[in-house]
Amino acid sequence: MSYPLPVIIFLIPFLTAICLPMVGLKKRHWCRPLALIAVCAMCVAAVVNLLEVLAHGETRYAFGGWPISTSFPAASIGVEWVNDPLASVMLVVLSSLASVCLIYSGPVSPQSLGSRVVLYYTLILMLISGLTGIVLAGDIFNVFVFMEVAALSAYALVGIPGGRALIVAFRYLILGTLGASFYLLGVVFFYAATGTLNMADLAQQLADKPELMTSKAVIAGTTFMFIGFGIKMALFPLHGWLPGAYTRAPDAISPLLAALMTKVALYGWVRIMFWVLGAGAEIGQIHVLSLLGVLGAFAAVVGALLALSQQDVKRMFAYGGISHVGLILIGVSQGNQTAFAGSLFYLINDAVMQAGLFFIAGSAIYHHKAQTVDDLASLRGGSPWMIGGLIVLALSMIGIPPTGGFFGKWHIILGAIEAHNYWAVAAVIIATILTMAYFQKLFVRIFRDTHLPSDVERIETHPSIRFSVAVTSIAIILLGVCSDPIIRFFRDIAVSAGM
Amino acid sequence: MIEHIVAGLQRPNFVAFVILFLWGFFVMVTHPNLVKKLIGMYLLQTSIIFLLVTIGAKKQSTVPILQAADAAAIATHEVDPADYANPLPHVLTLTAIVVQVATLGVSLALVAAIYQKYGSLDEDEILKRIE
Repeated sequence: MSYPLPVIIFLIPFLTAICLPMVGLKKRHWCRPLALIAVCAMCVAAVVNLLEVLAHGETRYAFGGWPISTSFPAASIGVEWVNDPLASVMLVVLSSLASVCLIYSGPVSPQSLGSRVVLYYTLILMLISGLTGIVLAGDIFNVFVFMEVAALSAYALVGIPGGRALIVAFRYLILGTLGASFYLLGVVFFYAATGTLNMADLAQQLADKPELMTSKAVIAGTTFMFIGFGIKMALFPLHGWLPGAYTRAPDAISPLLAALMTKVALYGWVRIMFWVLGAGAEIGQIHVLSLLGVLGAFAAVVGALLALSQQDVKRMFAYGGISHVGLILIGVSQGNQTAFAGSLFYLINDAVMQAGLFFIAGSAIYHHKAQTVDDLASLRGGSPWMIGGLIVLALSMIGIPPTGGFFGKWHIILGAIEAHNYWAVAAVIIATILTMAYFQKLFVRIFRDTHLPSDVERIETHPSIRFSVAVTSIAIILLGVCSDPIIRFFRDIAVSAGM
Repeated sequence: MIEHIVAGLQRPNFVAFVILFLWGFFVMVTHPNLVKKLIGMYLLQTSIIFLLVTIGAKKQSTVPILQAADAAAIATHEVDPADYANPLPHVLTLTAIVVQVATLGVSLALVAAIYQKYGSLDEDEILKRIE
């Protein structure tokens, strides 16, 4: 009897997404409460699941009772879902951020939807269930399917406002499909070389037969998979779709996309890198991890530089996200426990920070029509909630001690020093200074600009916006305060990943 | 060089895969017309499915379903796996086709909306009309 809670966590948003159009046919205003209840229920189930995993260790779910990787000596032919500590933590992060995003989306959602509001919430729930599937999937083909479920919903959601958003959504679709196709090609090569799709089984085979690692099929498969995930996680030279998509997407959707899409793709790559290929994997003569480190360092620095040169606030935060993906990759690629734990911790922080920043950018547009950095001066007359939230999140993005961002960066730097990669330390520090520079640009506009009249009328911030900004700001401080046990927990995961 | 060509000629399916893949990729990236971009995308996805079918093909094998007439063979464990094709690549093919069709549906809907809004399918023309 397999432990079914992970499957229930997936089914809650998925079944609700299927039922919503039926309910919405008669009662359109029921959709939002129903979606909210579903995601909150998912959140509670994810927390219960995390406690369960912490108490009793990892579980694996075999669909249809077919033999999976744990049912040795039978060959694993079934579809398997892995519910290990890392996946359960990701589930909690994913579902809690999704519920906060859904609470936030109430007032900000596009007003012109009419009867399509039913489909809007269906798509959001589909996106969430697709991401849940990627987190839990224990075989590489399922990752592909769920990646497409999430991505197709995301394309449609980005295109909602019409006009230029359609063009951006189309570009996102072309590049996203290219990424998924590369990933599928990688899966085909892996299957041709090993005859299995199950991650644990693949890892076993690659460990048992070292000649497989140098075979052309596995090298090609690894390369194509990495390019596929690289497009999905917006790694620097492949990031073309991200800034436009996040800027033009509805203000209610961009926090959800920014917080989860790239992070879950990054999680998928970490899973394949450490749980399938192993930390010492090489393609050709090149050590995969050192290649990742170089790419990550480029992404961290160039992403922050591009963010500095932006005028549009949402676009600036989107480039900030690209820079942070690079930072996380630097940490992952050092190959020691400290940096690995630090970067996974930073991944969670980054998801929270991105959500919070896009909450603020979206509500600045909603309340003050402030789209560019110059318009932000009007925030000064606005709510202290938004300014306060922005300050806390900026401290975390830069990395100042009481916030979570500091501890993530600190451990990444410590790990890089431990691995004697001083150029990686330099990249992290340069990215930090550039991050400071672009927040400086924002704050100078908000606090120092005396050209605009200071008697901007006070606008009462909508309660759900206040709530979501407050939750993300408090969460980021709490993550910083409780960083010690969380990092220790990730260190244990690093040990189980073979470091 | 010559041995590479000979090796390629012995595996015509793989050569066809590479040609289709690169052709689709080229059309998808360079063509300014949005619908032709989609045709390129479709070609690229189809080439990957073609590769899946190629590695799943097996000469002189049949579908892996045991019928009542095979009962005697099952009882005496005389079923030879070499006589049956591996069903998994074909199942993957079906799933990949479903994903491909869904992607194509979403993308055509987007293209239709773009055409309604800007009255053109040419990328350069649309960018000009935005400005």
